[in-house]
Amino acid sequence: MNDAGALLSIENLTVSLPERERIAGRGGDLTLVDSLSLAIRPGERLALVGESGSGKSLTARSILQLDPGLRLEGSITWKGSELLGAPRRVLQRVRGGEISMIFQDPMTALNPVLTIGEQVAEPLLVRGVPRRKAYARAVEMLDRLGVPKARERMRAYPGQFSGGMRQRVVMAAALVAQPQLLIADEPTTALDVRVQEQVLDLLEEQSRELNLAVLFITHDLAIVAGLAHRVAVMFRGRLVEEKLVDDLFERPEHPYTRGLIGSIPRLDLDPDTRLTTVEDYLVLEGGAQHA
Amino acid sequence: MTALYKFVLRRVGLAALSLWGVATIVFVISKLIPGDVARVAAGRLATADQVAHMRELLGLNDPLYVQYAGYISRLVQGNLGTSTITRQSVVGDLAAVLPTTIQLVLLGMLITVLIAAPVGIAAAVSEGKAADIVARIFLVTSGGVPVFWLAIMMRWVLGSILGWFPISGTNSVDGGPPTVTGFTVLDSLLFGTVGNLADSVFHLILPALALSAPFVSTLARLIRSNMMTALKADYITFAISKGVPRRRVILRHAFRSALGSVLTVFGMQFGWMISAAVLVEAVFGLPGIGSYLYRAIINQDTFSVLASVLVIGFVFIATSFIVDLLQMAIDPRVRRAQLGAA
Amino acid sequence: MKSETADAHAAPLADVPAVDDPLRLADAPSEIAAALSAGAIGGAAGRLGRRLFGRRTAVVDRIAFGLVLLLVVVAVVGSFARPYDPFAVQTSSALLPPSSAHLLGTDDVGRDVLSRLLAGAGLTLLSAAAIVVLAAAVGIVVASVAALLPRRVDEIIMRACDIFMSIPSLVLALGLAAALGPSMLSIIVAMVAASWPSTARLTRGILRETMSSSYVESAGILGMSRVRLMLRHVLPNSLDAIYVQASMEISGTIVMISGLAFLGVGAPPPSPDWGSMIAEGQQYITTAWWISLFPGLAISVGAIAFGLVGDAVRSFVDPTARRSS
Repeated sequence: MNDAGALLSIENLTVSLPERERIAGRGGDLTLVDSLSLAIRPGERLALVGESGSGKSLTARSILQLDPGLRLEGSITWKGSELLGAPRRVLQRVRGGEISMIFQDPMTALNPVLTIGEQVAEPLLVRGVPRRKAYARAVEMLDRLGVPKARERMRAYPGQFSGGMRQRVVMAAALVAQPQLLIADEPTTALDVRVQEQVLDLLEEQSRELNLAVLFITHDLAIVAGLAHRVAVMFRGRLVEEKLVDDLFERPEHPYTRGLIGSIPRLDLDPDTRLTTVEDYLVLEGGAQHA
Repeated sequence: MTALYKFVLRRVGLAALSLWGVATIVFVISKLIPGDVARVAAGRLATADQVAHMRELLGLNDPLYVQYAGYISRLVQGNLGTSTITRQSVVGDLAAVLPTTIQLVLLGMLITVLIAAPVGIAAAVSEGKAADIVARIFLVTSGGVPVFWLAIMMRWVLGSILGWFPISGTNSVDGGPPTVTGFTVLDSLLFGTVGNLADSVFHLILPALALSAPFVSTLARLIRSNMMTALKADYITFAISKGVPRRRVILRHAFRSALGSVLTVFGMQFGWMISAAVLVEAVFGLPGIGSYLYRAIINQDTFSVLASVLVIGFVFIATSFIVDLLQMAIDPRVRRAQLGAA
Repeated sequence: MKSETADAHAAPLADVPAVDDPLRLADAPSEIAAALSAGAIGGAAGRLGRRLFGRRTAVVDRIAFGLVLLLVVVAVVGSFARPYDPFAVQTSSALLPPSSAHLLGTDDVGRDVLSRLLAGAGLTLLSAAAIVVLAAAVGIVVASVAALLPRRVDEIIMRACDIFMSIPSLVLALGLAAALGPSMLSIIVAMVAASWPSTARLTRGILRETMSSSYVESAGILGMSRVRLMLRHVLPNSLDAIYVQASMEISGTIVMISGLAFLGVGAPPPSPDWGSMIAEGQQYITTAWWISLFPGLAISVGAIAFGLVGDAVRSFVDPTARRSS
């Protein structure tokens, strides 16, 4: 696992909610992610797959330490230096400049009262890039991501954009400072199917052109196939399987992965074939106790 | 642009409707006065002739609708009647006292925002921690204490006992600035000396401080709760993930978007503060609309009271009109809601 | 409304519902169910009462409830048991500072401040309660009628409320009370007249929300008449929210009554109401501070305690509101 060429490497990451942060304030600490290890190389696209509540999003958010209420243990190293426990100054430099993130719902990820221009140029502005230059870069980035009439729309507000356009704006803001890793947390879940595809294509294209590593979080195995190099599957806070994408589809080992793959509708099967559900796995494991 | 035009037009219509409504309410109240209205209107000291004259003037023998029409037409001409105490036109009296009230309220608004914004932001940022709890105790207290009592206590402790502030009036006895606009602060600034200016402001600080107490409470609590909502929004997380420093996240991202309803309430506070100023001016002997109203009540000059009510209502309507327009200029969400998708 | 706030609360952890304490999650639906099943005023009030004094009540809320209870006891006891006659003028003992004989001193004509304070407590609390209840009643009636009438009429009524609200309520009450002549009754009438429009407006909003809920809609589809629907379903299920609103009004009402009395439109002079006492003591503040100080403290304590209780009541009905109050 410890990969010398890794851009980012996560080792034995455990994320827990301390007892005092729990709503009832009792019941002990709650472990949400349990000793997870993962590494990404430059330019690599890694998909982290799992159902809601499996801890995949928390893992992603933990890299940039976005949830101050959670306790993080283990190690997250970025280009050889430790991020866990790093001073705020270091985190601020890494966030947006070296690792950036895009989120599930582009409708809520943009501040409704600030202009698109300001929000896209912001990662540059807070790094001391002169205003004029930062805005020019922002226009360029919006252009690149296919936002029409980018120059004029810099002064528009998020409310004037459609969902797909907003996700492009979010991506522009995430990529404007030329990070080497983009964490995409279910970036297409809130979009309709046609727009989904456009955003995914865009993501892949940018990754290839900019040699950008992508950590792609999703619950949808179906969209992983065309996008990722490698796939990691999470279940109940644990990493249960990690493989090259083709291997995973051909030889899924873990029963949960098999359940997931079996649940994807396929055109080449007999229409009468019953799709499996993950519940089948739960039953096998005597999963009722988890529920 | 036509959408904007239509919006302004609709808003003007609404304001006009409100003005008419307020005038009508005041008319109805004047009809509720028990006993001989002409005597009340003419004043306690009026002679029988004067009462008869007043009865004639108000058309009290006419049918109600004629009286109402007469009242409205007098109003449109800017005639609110004559004070039974000062024997002057009420409009003239009010025009003379309004500047004092307005500058008091403006200073009160300034103090309110200077206290409420930092307190509200600090409380929201430290939600549930000691600073938040201290802030909430402070806000609950300042919201519950009656302003007029607070004014008396501040005047007593800070003015009389400690001698830090003057205890009454708008200027020191020997030499205020020349009266030009009636706004003592403005007059000092334009026509007086630096000493005049300091003196004028100094006289207003204590009343404005007392006046702002309940408004600080309302505004800071609103800022706190809006900020707390905003700080939990996805766009805050996104901003942090872009490497935006905490200070900018709080002040630019969260505060900016928390501002919406805060601005509305802050704007409306102008009107509420004018009515609260009634209570404070009486304590500090400031010659504003409050003292005027107070004197009118004491002297049972009911029609001057009603005229003051009318004027305060008008100021209130004008304020909310301006607030709405300002809000639309500032908040893109409001602009979109009002004008339709651009 | 409830499910919405619950969602918003869970949003940052949307990916891990398990984070939320299971007890709490289990609580939410039953709470909503409980709110919906409340059939009558008594039911809702009783349930509220049980929750207010239940084990889960926070310290601040307990103190606030304690203070309110104390005020009520003081008002009741004070109405018949007082150290001195609150009206007895005795110039020989005028302006005496607090002492063992006169715990809170005497005023300019020798009346015992404590006795007057006690006599005024009932007056203040009763009139505040009367105002809030009457304003709520008028507001509920207007809002329900508006809700039953055709849309256009509904809109006109609400617009009229807006116009009323464009005169600050203190000023409107002041004008009305001044016109009616100085008495406690005219303060009550004036305050009710000044505050019903905002109550009606808020109540209309609450009713609208209840009416849009699916159980009301389905009852409507079943063919229940609009009036019956209003009385059987909409009103009873809106009561919680209406209580909350009323409880939050008490504090401001107490302060406003005293303000009106301070300006001299309240009960005429010998009356021991707290606002008038402050006004009477004002000119003696440098020499006999106790005359104004204590009634003001009483008003403040009352207003703050009722304010906290209002907040508490709201957070009991809508637990998510606590964090943002």
